[in-house]
Amino acid sequence: MINSLPLRAGILSVVLFGLFLLAWHLAVSGTGPTVEMDPAYAALMGQAAVQGKSAMPGPMDVAATLWGHLSDPFYVRGTNDMGLGIQLGHSILRVALGYFLAVAVAIPVGFLIGMSPLMSRALDPFIQVMKPISPLAWMPLALYTIKDSGLSAIFVIFICSLWPMLINTAFGVASVRKEWLNVARTLEVGAFRRAFLVILPAAAPTILTGMRISIGIAWLVIVAAEMLVGGTGIGYFVWNEWNNLSITNVITAIVAIGVVGMILDQILARIARLVSFPE
Amino acid sequence: MSTFDDPFDPSRRLSHAGCSCGQHKSQAEHDSALASDEGRLSRVVESAAMRALFPNDLTRRNFLRAVGSSAATAAIASVLPLGMAADALASTGPLEKTNLKIGFIPITCATPIIMAHPMGFYAKQNLNVEVVKTAGWAVIRDKTLNEEYDAAHMLSPMPLAITIGAGSNPIPYTMPAVENVNGQAITLAMKHKDKRDPKQWKGFRLAIPFDYSMHNYLLRYYLAEAGLDPDTDVQIRAVPPPDMVANLRADNIDGFLAPDPVNQRAVYDGVGFIHILSKEIWDRHPCCAFAASQKFVTEMPNTYAALLRAIIESTAYASKAENRKEIAEAIAPTNYLNQPVTVVEQVLTGTFADGLGNVRQVPDRIDFDPFPWESFAVWILTQMKRWGQIKGEVDYTSLARQVFLATDAARLMKEAGLEAPETTEKSFSVMGKPFDPADPEGYLASFPIKRVS
Amino acid sequence: MTEKPLISIEAVARRYPAPGGNETVIFEDLWLPIRRGEFVCMIGHSGCGKTTVLNILAGLEAPSDGAVIVDGREIGGPSLDRAVIFQSHALLPWRTVLGNVAFAVKSRWPAKGKDWIEKQAKRFISLVGLEGAERKRPAELSGGMKQRVGIARALSIEPKILLMDEPFSALDALTRGTLQDEVRRICLETGQTTFMITHDVDEAMYLADRIVLMTNGPNAHVAEIVENPLPRDRSRTDLHRHPHYYPLRNHLIDFLVTRSRTLRDAPAADRDPRNPPVVRPHAAPEPVAPISSDQASAQHPSMTRRVP
Repeated sequence: MINSLPLRAGILSVVLFGLFLLAWHLAVSGTGPTVEMDPAYAALMGQAAVQGKSAMPGPMDVAATLWGHLSDPFYVRGTNDMGLGIQLGHSILRVALGYFLAVAVAIPVGFLIGMSPLMSRALDPFIQVMKPISPLAWMPLALYTIKDSGLSAIFVIFICSLWPMLINTAFGVASVRKEWLNVARTLEVGAFRRAFLVILPAAAPTILTGMRISIGIAWLVIVAAEMLVGGTGIGYFVWNEWNNLSITNVITAIVAIGVVGMILDQILARIARLVSFPE
Repeated sequence: MSTFDDPFDPSRRLSHAGCSCGQHKSQAEHDSALASDEGRLSRVVESAAMRALFPNDLTRRNFLRAVGSSAATAAIASVLPLGMAADALASTGPLEKTNLKIGFIPITCATPIIMAHPMGFYAKQNLNVEVVKTAGWAVIRDKTLNEEYDAAHMLSPMPLAITIGAGSNPIPYTMPAVENVNGQAITLAMKHKDKRDPKQWKGFRLAIPFDYSMHNYLLRYYLAEAGLDPDTDVQIRAVPPPDMVANLRADNIDGFLAPDPVNQRAVYDGVGFIHILSKEIWDRHPCCAFAASQKFVTEMPNTYAALLRAIIESTAYASKAENRKEIAEAIAPTNYLNQPVTVVEQVLTGTFADGLGNVRQVPDRIDFDPFPWESFAVWILTQMKRWGQIKGEVDYTSLARQVFLATDAARLMKEAGLEAPETTEKSFSVMGKPFDPADPEGYLASFPIKRVS
Repeated sequence: MTEKPLISIEAVARRYPAPGGNETVIFEDLWLPIRRGEFVCMIGHSGCGKTTVLNILAGLEAPSDGAVIVDGREIGGPSLDRAVIFQSHALLPWRTVLGNVAFAVKSRWPAKGKDWIEKQAKRFISLVGLEGAERKRPAELSGGMKQRVGIARALSIEPKILLMDEPFSALDALTRGTLQDEVRRICLETGQTTFMITHDVDEAMYLADRIVLMTNGPNAHVAEIVENPLPRDRSRTDLHRHPHYYPLRNHLIDFLVTRSRTLRDAPAADRDPRNPPVVRPHAAPEPVAPISSDQASAQHPSMTRRVP
């Protein structure tokens, strides 16, 4: 079906991507005027200085680098030089740990806040103050108190994932339809069954929305946190390549970060679809 | 210089019974017979340290043959101030811990720490050392305090600043050795290639790697000598070294005083030119430091001794010009500095492109000479006070001793049967102006541009 | 009337704080007995507090004063004895038809096994004619089917009394009729005691044994209780042919159109809240007085309408 919307959209996407690559290629290709210099001197200089080559890599450079990383993603050439796959693995592991820790805290506490107007009012000022704090602002405090940079990074993920989930859970629980709660009341449903069989499924779509926001933030923050703390992870990879001014590798990492972020988001979206219900 | 009592002479045996020249009953008698000439005193101390480090004469001689005695002299000096470690160094017991972590910032100042890994200096001491690249000095400090790192690479003013509590809570810090001397440069953007006189730099935005760094003090000194007030006539910002070249390219800054390979990288990419090397401001100024946690030193003396032996051998190896090319190749890969080999090589060999079309030859562009003169600390303190980083009365001497472990050095000398020397300080000149470590306040008062009245 | 009622609403009042420190009185001193096996409808305009009465009966709201006695005991909250069919059906949308009914069954008999619960749930699903739709989710059902599930859920717990809050008001006329048939059939078969709120006169006439008329609110009260004169084996299709049909219907309509307001503003002087007047509009064997106007017929509820 040439007229199907997805097909046409797909074709348009490919065309736009092609145009983007072409524009990129044209923008960085070509060399400037070759500078006259002493060969002994030229030997000490980089291509950018000698040939006036653009410092920005072209799409082909990035593709080649990306291919190189993809064909050997798990090499270990030393503490500070590991494959892209390993770095991504470290980042995903950190995100997963911090994120699930946040889930374990945010959902019960969010439940409590959502069900108790007293707790809601009492905790509201704290949440309002804590929520807008940039997660990275916690980093020095975390390093100082936790005394472990790996755990600090996980803590930062925890703290940044916490708020959207907490707020959404509280909101989702607080806005469970009154009639469903009345059904539970007239059926004399106990607190436990009510929480798990009525409130949780009713609030699940809202909670999942919060979880989806959180995973996005967590993935944004891990890159920054790893750039700050270093050691391992995709953020460290970016920092290390930036250190070497290797824009090609930085762009490669950006592509990898984007793809992994999209996958994480899609996983959550799929789970959200599972728990959602049409009314 | 007489050689007969030179502990670095590989042919000599260091006797424990009797003195080194054989004319006295004991080494102490021999020592006291010598005039308290600074050179001789230090020789005795060095020989004690040498004995402590290499109790086995054969090993010592092999070491000296391998690296050459002058290199060893420079290297061995690094253990001098660590009197407390003297006992530790003397012990040859089993290693308490063989898996160590050392943090470094990817700059050439860290060369001895880094190269000891690929070139096997750690392995030779049966140590399995992980050298971990770290994003910044604050992170290095935190990770050392957290005991994630057993030892680390720092800027030499940092232990002073941390001890005083400038910019952080005061935490007593120890610094066994300075790592390198020289090795920094002022790099300017290409568009300023005709503004070689700093008097023309009014309004410049200049970058330094850290507030508590030699880079900051040297740049401020240099500007002030040219009559510019570094706080009002120019903007000085702390910029992480990896960002410096990019910022220079983006025209966010006009130049920087930075550690290498940043300067050479700016040249390599055609973004900037090397205006002057830091050695032209103060030849043989200290820069980075090798620091280990106090707990590590006291709890694992054997491991610490082995680690220092490795660093010393590495430093000695690095100080020889003929090894520099090989070192450059060893430390340039992604795992270490992550720079093109030619950039690192230009820094280490001192044969480099200056960015203006000239190939310059400055063999001591960077050198590795670890003795932490107390007078270095005093000078750093005068500059901290000069630019308002520390306020009020400063007890220069005691602070310098505390941080540069001068008291330990004195103890080491006493243990060697000597009066503690008055001179762990040497005078030097910065931009032709002599510095007298005995009169820091007078020195401070002599500057027209400063933040203290 | 001598039989002890299953449910007795005694001196119940409901007041809300109003802005300015005053209280809004929805109703006060409300008395109403409901006998076992009886189908009682309550009719009144919006705001007369009929939903509040139902909520108090269900235990979802607490009365400001008075008490509800069920089987000799004052109620303290919701109970499985009193099943509610909500106007909006209130199905849990993430559960299937079977899941919704089984949820109620499991609540009623928590100790029973899964198979038994499913069997009981399926029994009531087929009772409301939904066999084959057990695995569907509420969103896949029409409005009428959803309400059937609501009815099945309420009946499946075999309650002492069924409370219905305008259960068919959101449905189209055809579906409403069918469901009314179903409900009447089930209630007759099982002898289910039922209390239903409605504002549909025809619905009340078809289903109820007694119809409680509430005046307009606020400050509503039970104006009178109408006994349904129509035969017990009535059918919806020929109901309107019965001679008592129009007298009853006119009486109810008259009440809703005018008397619900006038009686609120000027209650009968001899009003006894515990014993509201009971009337039984019917076609009299012979006319006792000429019919002059609607007004007259309204004042004389027992008067017959002239039969053509």
